[in-house]
Amino acid sequence: MTEESKPTLNARRAFLAKLGGAATCAGAAMGAATLGILPNATAKSEPGADGASFPNENYDWSKHEWAFGVDATKCIGCLRCVEACKRENDVPQNAHQFRTWVERYVHLEGDDEVHIDSQQDPVNIEASGSEKTFRFANRYKDAKVYKAFFVPKLCNHCTHPSCVQVCPTGATFRTKDGVVLVDETYCIGCRYCVQACPYGARFFNEEKHVADKCTWCYHRITKGLQPACVEVCPVGARMFGDREDKQSPISLFIRNNRVQVLKAEMGNAPNVYYVGIDKEVN
Amino acid sequence: MPKHIVRLVLIIAAALVVAAIAPRILKVDSFYRFGHYRANAVPEIAAREPVYQTPRYCYGCHTERRAQWSAGSHKTVICEVCHGPAQGHPQDVKMTIPADAVKLCTQCHEAMPGRPKTQPQIQVAEHSGGQQCTVCHNPHSPKITVATAKVSGNAATGKQRAAACSSCHGDAGISPNDTWPNLAGQSASYLVRILTAYKTGDQTDPIMTPLAQGLSAADIQNLAAYFAGESCKSETAGKPVGDAAAGAAVAKNCTACHGEGGRGGNPAWPKLVAQKPGYLMNVLKAFRAGLRKDPMMAGVSRGLSDTDIANLAAYYAAQSCQNTK
Repeated sequence: MTEESKPTLNARRAFLAKLGGAATCAGAAMGAATLGILPNATAKSEPGADGASFPNENYDWSKHEWAFGVDATKCIGCLRCVEACKRENDVPQNAHQFRTWVERYVHLEGDDEVHIDSQQDPVNIEASGSEKTFRFANRYKDAKVYKAFFVPKLCNHCTHPSCVQVCPTGATFRTKDGVVLVDETYCIGCRYCVQACPYGARFFNEEKHVADKCTWCYHRITKGLQPACVEVCPVGARMFGDREDKQSPISLFIRNNRVQVLKAEMGNAPNVYYVGIDKEVN
Repeated sequence: MPKHIVRLVLIIAAALVVAAIAPRILKVDSFYRFGHYRANAVPEIAAREPVYQTPRYCYGCHTERRAQWSAGSHKTVICEVCHGPAQGHPQDVKMTIPADAVKLCTQCHEAMPGRPKTQPQIQVAEHSGGQQCTVCHNPHSPKITVATAKVSGNAATGKQRAAACSSCHGDAGISPNDTWPNLAGQSASYLVRILTAYKTGDQTDPIMTPLAQGLSAADIQNLAAYFAGESCKSETAGKPVGDAAAGAAVAKNCTACHGEGGRGGNPAWPKLVAQKPGYLMNVLKAFRAGLRKDPMMAGVSRGLSDTDIANLAAYYAAQSCQNTK
């Protein structure tokens, strides 16, 4: 691929999207106009115009802009977040499908290659003793470790989500408060979104036959709670909050640290901000 | 107009009619309310009930635990991390009391490359010989804080005062009998703590209580300084009842606090090296029976049999004061 700056790419995307939209609209309008049955299409795309609090009376999504922070320097790899997420969100109880997970990056002395594993590595499954509990095996105990660290991962809730772009049925979408959700009743299980996500954050839920992913615990955050993974993290490696509030912990985290996002070059504009990760993490 | 053109126009017209009417019938109302998705999906997803309830939910009833927990070093670890999600509790769900503390605690505290230095980490085998963590640590407030008493006494002044102790504890703190403990070479900090406990009544003993009540704070400091400065003498006479070799295996559980061979670890806790076996047995049995109060020792001694106690006493009595290793 040739060097192309992100603005150029985004501009091209936007242009193509508009071109497609324009062509469709022109065709439809021409046809409809001839018949005089043009439905009031303008009202459809008018966002939240009724002024009422949505999605419910206690929570107005237009007043929030959620973001997530991960301080990898604090993570101890205890995997309490992974277990809590599974239980909170009814994620299938197996060691292969996760809404959030933790990766371990290990550099050994005299070895250029980085050793990466997560809780779903067979060695770690064996250490935990079951597919329903999670634990990192102490496999580098006797090795000469040059450097090692843990990195929690989850859906990045991108501002320009590829998964939403490819969904053929409108079953996945980005809410006004910045959360990418899956509408289980509209998902036809085509798995296109699973393929499209550059972060591998989605999986196919075999029990429900729909695409599944992290929701930042939308049912919790809309009730004023923290996502389950943040709630249970014993060391404060995970952080969640509202960027609308300039003094919220997440706003300060982003402002006071040299934060980075994963795969910025994809142009997805992720909203999970990392501190303390290496170039190998993406 | 040619026939085929008319047909084509009719087909296009029919298609347009279908295109205009079909969405009105097939489309869900809330679709396109905000965009290319079903708006009602949002309140549906938001309506799910939380499974993890947060500590505030637990506070309502467990006030005592809350006080303990919120003052301790585990205050960042919420109840549900160890006890499981509280949804449905107490009506339908019974919370879990983790059966295997070693397995649970090492999730976070096993020494492992990649864990930040600030995280307290241990190798279980070395730290406790595989013993359950909860024997010594209170999981709700695990940090063991025994104030290490400051000792600033004068040994010479202490020696004069110590004359009153010699009838039981011997000259220079080497006890002439099996019932009373040696004091020579004992950790000064521990001596101050235990004498102060006798004085204040935190610890009681028919003989020691009145004696300690007669001591001033300065006396206690001086006595501690004196006895700590005397040299410990390895046990030679007498044959203990227990088996020292068997005791060595049990003693692995004691090293974290009392040091290797009982030669001392944290100065807040007593040294056990070359201590009188009869005294050690009495004390352990007193802890086990709850006659002598100490949260840590109560837990440790609970699992000991009479034989274990005899073996332990024999093991510590046989240890040499000098670290030979």
